[in-house]
Amino acid sequence: MAEDIQQKLEQYRTAPFDARFPNQNQTRNCWQNYLDYYRCQKVLDAKGVDTAPELWYKRVYKSLCPLSWIEKWDSQREDGTFPGKL
Amino acid sequence: MAHQAHAYHMVDPSPWPLTGAIAALLMTSGLAIWFHFHSTMLMTLGLVLTLLTMYQWWRDIIREGTFQGHHTPPVQKGLRYGMILFITSEVFFFLGFFWAFYHSSLAPTPELGGCWPPTGIIPLDPFEVPLLNTAVLLASGVTVTWAHHSIMEGERKQTIQSLALTILLGFYFTALQAMEYYEAPFTIADGVYGSTFFVATGFHGLHVIIGSTFLAVCLLRQIQYHFTSEHHFGFEAAAWYWHFVDVVWLFLYVSIYWWGS
Repeated sequence: MAEDIQQKLEQYRTAPFDARFPNQNQTRNCWQNYLDYYRCQKVLDAKGVDTAPELWYKRVYKSLCPLSWIEKWDSQREDGTFPGKL
Repeated sequence: MAHQAHAYHMVDPSPWPLTGAIAALLMTSGLAIWFHFHSTMLMTLGLVLTLLTMYQWWRDIIREGTFQGHHTPPVQKGLRYGMILFITSEVFFFLGFFWAFYHSSLAPTPELGGCWPPTGIIPLDPFEVPLLNTAVLLASGVTVTWAHHSIMEGERKQTIQSLALTILLGFYFTALQAMEYYEAPFTIADGVYGSTFFVATGFHGLHVIIGSTFLAVCLLRQIQYHFTSEHHFGFEAAAWYWHFVDVVWLFLYVSIYWWGS
């Protein structure tokens, strides 16, 4: 499983088709992966477990999300005003 | 002497449509003047003219129908169609606001936190005052039906009592809503939640006030012996309008207060 995820990360080109978000508007795809990355990070850091799997979410959101959104959400998280549940 | 050979009502020339149109113009342009030049004079003038037009126009209709006998069965049928069409148009008016609410709440955007209610919004508890309001309006639906049956059975005292009770329940609803508005932890400026909540419930409240006024006019007319057990369309129109207001509240309650929390 760990080799799979490593392989997947090495062979990464761009975010693959996600059947949860089949339509043209990919906003939710970006939003969900951004949330999943930071939620995953929070949970795995607390447990002290290897955090390689969460890199997948990071790669996906970095591929999909407009940079301005990432910057806005990052500064909201710093200020404590991020509206999503982390 | 020429008499009409038909049962319809050819209305005498009247100035009220013109004053009504002028009033509408003054109110709308007055609104724009208020927004840009901080003066409420034109708008207030328009409002006063509107109220005068409404008072005099409807007074004339009452004179034509109740005192001069122009409201024959075909004429009354036309008035019924008119009221039904008007209420239907109001249904579509509210449908728009429900559309807006569901558009924003079924697929909440990231700006809201991807959830409904949005992050940071504390919605009102649907099982507190809103539930009481539901009970009040449902009860008022019962009392207005009681009033109708009393009219049809020629029971003068019961009609007056049940109609007065209906109006009191309407006032109670308005007072409770006003208190809720004052005490609410969110305002109309609080994102799309605040906008959809206060515009939808606000227009509903305005319709409750209009409906209560209509019923109050019916009460005054009832006291002055205008209605007969066979012919009391003014009251029926008010009762239809009141039931419509009640139904809109039920949809508001289930959608915005209950599901939306």
